[in-house]
Amino acid sequence: MAQTRLDRNEQINGWAFVMPALVLLGIFMIYPILWSLWMSFQVGRGNNFSFGGLANIQRLANDALLVQALTNTIIFFIIQVPIMIVLALLFAVALNDATLRFRGLFRTILFLPCVTSLIAYSSLFKSMFSNDGIINQALMSLHLVSAPIPWLTDPFWAKVVIISAITWRWTGYNMIFYLAALQNVDKSIYEAARIDGIPGWARFWNITVPMLKPVILFTTILSTIGTLQLFDEINNITQGGPGNGTMTLSMYIYNLTFRMMPSFGYSATVSWVIVAIVAVLSIIQFMIARDRRRGA
Amino acid sequence: MTRNVMRWTRTLAIALTGISMASVAAAAAELTVWCWDPNFNIPAMADAGARYTAAHPDTTFNINNVSQDEINQKLQTQLLAGVSDGLPDIVLIQDDNIQRFLQSFPGSFVPLSDSIDMSKFADYKVAAATYEGKSYSLPFDSGVTGLFYRSDYLEEAGYKPEDVQDITWNRLIEIGKDVLEKTGHQLIDMDYNDDGQIIMMMQSTGQWYLKDGNEPNIIDNPALKASLETFQAMAQSGLIKPVSDWTGYTGAFTSGEVAMVPQGVWITGTIKSMPDQAGKWRVAPLPALDGVDGATHYSNNGGSSWYVLASSEHQDEAIDFLKTVWAEDVDFYQGILVNQGAVGSLLAARDGDAYKASDPFFNDEPVWQNFSDWLAQVPAVDYGTFTPEARLAVRAQLPNIANGGDIDQALQAIDAQLRQQMQ
Amino acid sequence: MSLYMLRRTGVYLFLSLAAFLSVFPFFWMAVGATNKSTEIITGKMTPGSNLVVNFQTLLSQVDLWRVFGNSFLIAIVSTILTLAVSSLAGYGFEIFRSRVRERIFQLLLLFLSIPFAALMVPLFVMISRAQLTNTFTAVILPTIASIFILFYFRQATKAFPSELRDAARVDGLKEWQIFLFVYMPTMRSTYAAATIIVFMNAWNNYLWPLIVLQTPENKTITLVISALTAAYTPDYGVILLTTVLATLPTLVIFFVLQRQFVQGMLGAVK
Repeated sequence: MAQTRLDRNEQINGWAFVMPALVLLGIFMIYPILWSLWMSFQVGRGNNFSFGGLANIQRLANDALLVQALTNTIIFFIIQVPIMIVLALLFAVALNDATLRFRGLFRTILFLPCVTSLIAYSSLFKSMFSNDGIINQALMSLHLVSAPIPWLTDPFWAKVVIISAITWRWTGYNMIFYLAALQNVDKSIYEAARIDGIPGWARFWNITVPMLKPVILFTTILSTIGTLQLFDEINNITQGGPGNGTMTLSMYIYNLTFRMMPSFGYSATVSWVIVAIVAVLSIIQFMIARDRRRGA
Repeated sequence: MTRNVMRWTRTLAIALTGISMASVAAAAAELTVWCWDPNFNIPAMADAGARYTAAHPDTTFNINNVSQDEINQKLQTQLLAGVSDGLPDIVLIQDDNIQRFLQSFPGSFVPLSDSIDMSKFADYKVAAATYEGKSYSLPFDSGVTGLFYRSDYLEEAGYKPEDVQDITWNRLIEIGKDVLEKTGHQLIDMDYNDDGQIIMMMQSTGQWYLKDGNEPNIIDNPALKASLETFQAMAQSGLIKPVSDWTGYTGAFTSGEVAMVPQGVWITGTIKSMPDQAGKWRVAPLPALDGVDGATHYSNNGGSSWYVLASSEHQDEAIDFLKTVWAEDVDFYQGILVNQGAVGSLLAARDGDAYKASDPFFNDEPVWQNFSDWLAQVPAVDYGTFTPEARLAVRAQLPNIANGGDIDQALQAIDAQLRQQMQ
Repeated sequence: MSLYMLRRTGVYLFLSLAAFLSVFPFFWMAVGATNKSTEIITGKMTPGSNLVVNFQTLLSQVDLWRVFGNSFLIAIVSTILTLAVSSLAGYGFEIFRSRVRERIFQLLLLFLSIPFAALMVPLFVMISRAQLTNTFTAVILPTIASIFILFYFRQATKAFPSELRDAARVDGLKEWQIFLFVYMPTMRSTYAAATIIVFMNAWNNYLWPLIVLQTPENKTITLVISALTAAYTPDYGVILLTTVLATLPTLVIFFVLQRQFVQGMLGAVK
């Protein structure tokens, strides 16, 4: 009897705590999502649309640009996300060491990039990497290159610029999460490990990484979604060019909506491709987690 | 019913918040205008507005600086949502971008050909904004092209102004190689994310990316092929300095780095922004494409026009304003020509004094007269609906072509991307 | 010991290089604010004398105080409401588990991945039907229930010691009291990190305010920067100056809250 009352209390409290968020999300997400689902079955231009059944999905199958956007997005994801997460982890661990000098200064400086606005830092990077820009001038005066590198006019180098820009902007951001999480790690575990003579890198892999696992998972999911939605940087630095070399899914959706004949139905369909990818990734991640639990 | 209630609520809200007093609102009309260039179309519109307000004190103007991207974003979102709050009365839209608006949001723009005689304007400008037999634009600036060049660099390489007069692109490439060798200056600069250079060469033959309405005109388009070959030849000879954006583009010639600028007439203001280069610049007609039927020295790049939104509460004032100033006031066109370097599309404006004057900056050549003569000879093309898609498809291939890629394969790729996007 | 020194030197070198790369664009931005546009695009690295001119140009184009006021109002209100609503929900989802809520939470994670461009048009229709266009409410409301911050708080709550909650229950505290008097003070550094992030997002939000805010007097500083950048002939001196000004508030917020981290760390060392 007492048990059920406690259960009911838990239920009431559970709903009470999440209700404000759910109500707001219900209003500001559910309707737009239903609209976008409905739109993905419509074909036509702007306000002239009609029910098209699966026509948009058929269009997906033949869309070479979509494939290119997908490929670019995956390249950004595979190269950029691991670099950033490893860097952020290394920074966080180094800065969490109480014996490090100038710790506060380093921490502050490494955080700095994430206070800039996306638009501001994008135009900053664009001007730094322009043909006569500061980066090329520095490289040439150091005799590292003999001719200016075509940073923004060559599809390969443009990808390098985008990856550098995102890494610059977001590494400190991820570091915040790791540093905050490291504070919750009990320092005595490290002390015990140190006394037992376990070397630094082993402490990193065997204590720090497992302890930070929830946060690492969290930032990885965020970075995945962030890469899939990569837009502001692309739009402000390369607009998807040169030669579609930096076209991402979100940039493509934007082009479909605002630069080309506005086909909202098809751009909604492409948006759902992103959701489908995330769903598949989540299922994979869920299955891996389950297998591991079984194995353990 | 609901509409009335809503309108009433809104009036009440406006009165309550004290944004504007009802008595004033009833008599006066403030026309809101969206346009984007503080050195060009904004002051031109401000001048036009001032002229109209002088004659009609009740009508005032609120000119907002809104970038082209922002216009696309806001206009499209609101037209699709069917919400007109906050939309302007008059908006400036680039010519090759208007058809998608007219076709996507029918009824959202006022057909101006009902009240304004369109035969007063250059044909190709009117054609760009004609949809289902009606013209929606008040044609504004022309993008008639010319070859701006540094006569001092040319002279240093042993050439005279006559040597670039009415030549072909292949001849220009030969000259360019000499100039590069003798002066160290590259011929032109170009952003590979912009196909303006290709458009200028192609349109000079009367061809476009699309034909017969909306059929892609890519693979069997000799003008496009010749344009891409010319571009490749220039790039492979090291005559093109690649830049990555507009600032880089203008910087390369205002700093004196490159020798020539093939461009629409609206670039004049930028070139003249360097007074210390006065007398060093001249303008020749655009070179013609080699071996293409219908090749001329006249083409167009860019240019935009004014549109009245159907949601405007001051439609009558807006139309009357465009009619009396933009479609009749020849004197006004002389002013914006002198002050902003804006070559309008009103044919009568060409007879004004300013158009006949010669310009000391360009070695006392009658540049404006030349441009307006060329303007009348620009081959008209039908931009069709899918020009933005075509331009994106062409841009995607430019870096590859510049690096020596196969042109036929590039044409196939452009055609494929364009066809895929045309849905 | 010498191995230790070597490793230490390596760490310092690594951090110094990273610090240089982090700070260089800021240096470039600050120097740029004092130069002319033409000097900036040709890579001038030394401070110039154009700061006053750039300032005057900026002031002649925008009502700077108004714009900053708007940005602050939006960012502060958004931050407070977002932290309240999302931390409540993050706590709720983690502490009180039920199968239905788990399903809802998984669905929310999926929603997080929908690009905003896909939802913008219907959202705009809703806002305009509610007669909210051109209001700050319209900018703030859809961002309050942030799935992302909710997710963050749920992850952080995993580290909230259950003994604390049990002890508070034994003491007879109600659930809301536990949240207010035990959870919130304990999770100070989590709130500090979240504040930085939410404030920055609100301050830097672009596409949605662009669509919703229609009159110049309601513009935010981010909209001003984007308008300057999108100009036909962008004046990089003015752009970089505005960028410096727009970065200052987020910088201050960050410095203030950084103390929270430091305190947290010192506390942990003791």
